[in-house]
Amino acid sequence: MEDEKPSPFVDLVAGGFWLALAIAIMVGAWTMDRLAHLKIPIFTVPGLVPGLLGAAIAMASLVLIVRSLRAGALAGAHWPSVKLGEHWRLIAVLVLCLSYAIGLIGHGLPFWLASAIFVAVFIFVFQFAERRRDGTLPRGVLVAVTTGLISGLVIHYAFQDLFLVRLP
Amino acid sequence: MLDGLIGFGTAILGFMNPASIVYALVACFVGFIIGALPGLTATMGVALMTTLTIKLPSADALLILICTYVGAIYGGSRSAILLNIPGTPASAASCLDGHALARQGLAGRAMGIATSGSVLGTWIGMIALAFFTPVLGEMALKFGAYEFFWLAIFGVVISGNLTGNDPIKGWMAGFLGLFIAGIGQEALYAFNRFTFEVHDLSGGISLVPALVGAFGLAEVITVMKDRPRPVMVSAYDTVIPKLIDVTKYWRTIVRSGLIGTGIGIVPGVGEDVAAWSSYAAARRASKEKELFGKGSIEGLMAAETGDNACVPGAVIPVLTLAVPGSAPAAVLLAAMLIHGVNPGPLIMVENPQFVYEVVAMMFIASIGILIYGLTLTKLLVRVLQFPAVLIMPIIFVLCAVGSYAIASRLFDVYVMLAFGVIGFMLRQLNFPMAPLVLGIVLGDLMEKSLRRGLVLSDGDLLPFFSRPIAFVMFTLVAVTILMNVPAFNRLTSRAWSSLGGLFRRSDAGKGV
Repeated sequence: MEDEKPSPFVDLVAGGFWLALAIAIMVGAWTMDRLAHLKIPIFTVPGLVPGLLGAAIAMASLVLIVRSLRAGALAGAHWPSVKLGEHWRLIAVLVLCLSYAIGLIGHGLPFWLASAIFVAVFIFVFQFAERRRDGTLPRGVLVAVTTGLISGLVIHYAFQDLFLVRLP
Repeated sequence: MLDGLIGFGTAILGFMNPASIVYALVACFVGFIIGALPGLTATMGVALMTTLTIKLPSADALLILICTYVGAIYGGSRSAILLNIPGTPASAASCLDGHALARQGLAGRAMGIATSGSVLGTWIGMIALAFFTPVLGEMALKFGAYEFFWLAIFGVVISGNLTGNDPIKGWMAGFLGLFIAGIGQEALYAFNRFTFEVHDLSGGISLVPALVGAFGLAEVITVMKDRPRPVMVSAYDTVIPKLIDVTKYWRTIVRSGLIGTGIGIVPGVGEDVAAWSSYAAARRASKEKELFGKGSIEGLMAAETGDNACVPGAVIPVLTLAVPGSAPAAVLLAAMLIHGVNPGPLIMVENPQFVYEVVAMMFIASIGILIYGLTLTKLLVRVLQFPAVLIMPIIFVLCAVGSYAIASRLFDVYVMLAFGVIGFMLRQLNFPMAPLVLGIVLGDLMEKSLRRGLVLSDGDLLPFFSRPIAFVMFTLVAVTILMNVPAFNRLTSRAWSSLGGLFRRSDAGKGV
């Protein structure tokens, strides 16, 4: 119901990652301190539940791997050729969001200003090609900066002054 | 009965003050817009509003959240009808007949049907909420550690089974959620697990930042990664619902309302399954099957009644068992805990009035969607034509500030980022989000119940299977899993056919 089904090869790779994660969880759970000095019963050790969940994930991953192999995951399998240019929107949204959340907020810059810069740059970047084609770059800058400033100030006011929530 | 009515009346009167009315109207509006905008979900809306209302009194905060939830589920129908894009996953079933009606120049009538179906669905669910919560609450008092363990496992398994199109992936997401809930100090000995000496991880992963990431940032990335398509809004006529649409299909409305409420009660399944199930049931029972998918009023009515009836339904297990019936209800549960309300089996003993307050909140929300359903069409059409590039960065700013607001620590912003990126990748790989969320919510209950049960039985596993309710729940879990094993299905169908043959032979014998 959520998205289209990925190919068997993608499922195989995903199954491999999940299996690795499950094994890591099981190893972590097995090597976890069993608090022997507290003389606790074995069925209450802290690693019990994560270990069981790791085992459950491992079993499901194996089913996923076997199913994808039976569906022909290895027949003509190849890594999809990834051209960064085709995914510039994805890369841009990740870079912008991570830069804002890790670099801009909580490091001294006033929240409203950090948010205004982020919103303005975000809008400008994603409208750049269209605006350049239409010859409306200055208008694009104006729209981006205005939207950034208004949203930064309104969010700042709504959270901090209206609902008394602390801001980063 | 009378106590319930008095409780409901008292609760309604309690909300009849200017501040609460304004909160309800604003929240219904916000939910309506969030639901109508494709890409923004009810879960994200409720999660963001949770962070915004953290300092409000609990009654007002929960009123806002419930109004947002109901408004968002209703709002999704607007884009389904006008754009053929479901505003929320819950409205996917409404696209089929809603947009078909719009193509016939009947978009206004379709919106009227959606409004009447949604309001009536909310009322059916609301009545069920008022009647079943005390009953289920009493039943829940019989639950011990063994039953709660199986309830948590059942929630994750059934959610994994029904919310995606690949049960294995749903279960994996659910198990991952259960594991994530265990990160940090465990409850029995305060031992740090999987914290890698990161101090902030000792307190565990907070639910709200994780949800804001999985449903907020992941949505922002999903929407922005593709070039936006031009928005084509259908023309519309009057949106005032016609009485004949309600009277003619009253059976469909009642049936869909009950199905929606029932599905809401099942842990972690949610509104989209409720809408599709109501739609399928209406189609099976309809005298005009051939119209379904081509602009059936009955089909649209069924889908809209079902998904909105699911909202109060999903709140029933929240109140009685502290187990959410859907992803937005999971946020609602977290919000109740943040605001000091402790839902669970003792709610009818300790705080029965709260149940009727929630019923009253649902009623107020239904009035809110009725008002906006009749009045806001022109504004909504303008909002739908608003470019996503102007909305998405603002949504992300809200995600960041909302995550921070819960505990005033930047660590939660990083949790939101991590869950956003992981949630996006999992969606691309067809792993559903609802079981993951449910797993995070139920992880603590599952682990505590398992270890407490083992302590009580001194390590003996038998009580997990021998107590009647525990046995029933274990059987449900086992059957849900086995139903997805082809060999088991072949075996059961063979058994059924041989059983049928046996009956046919005995019938033939009687005839002779």
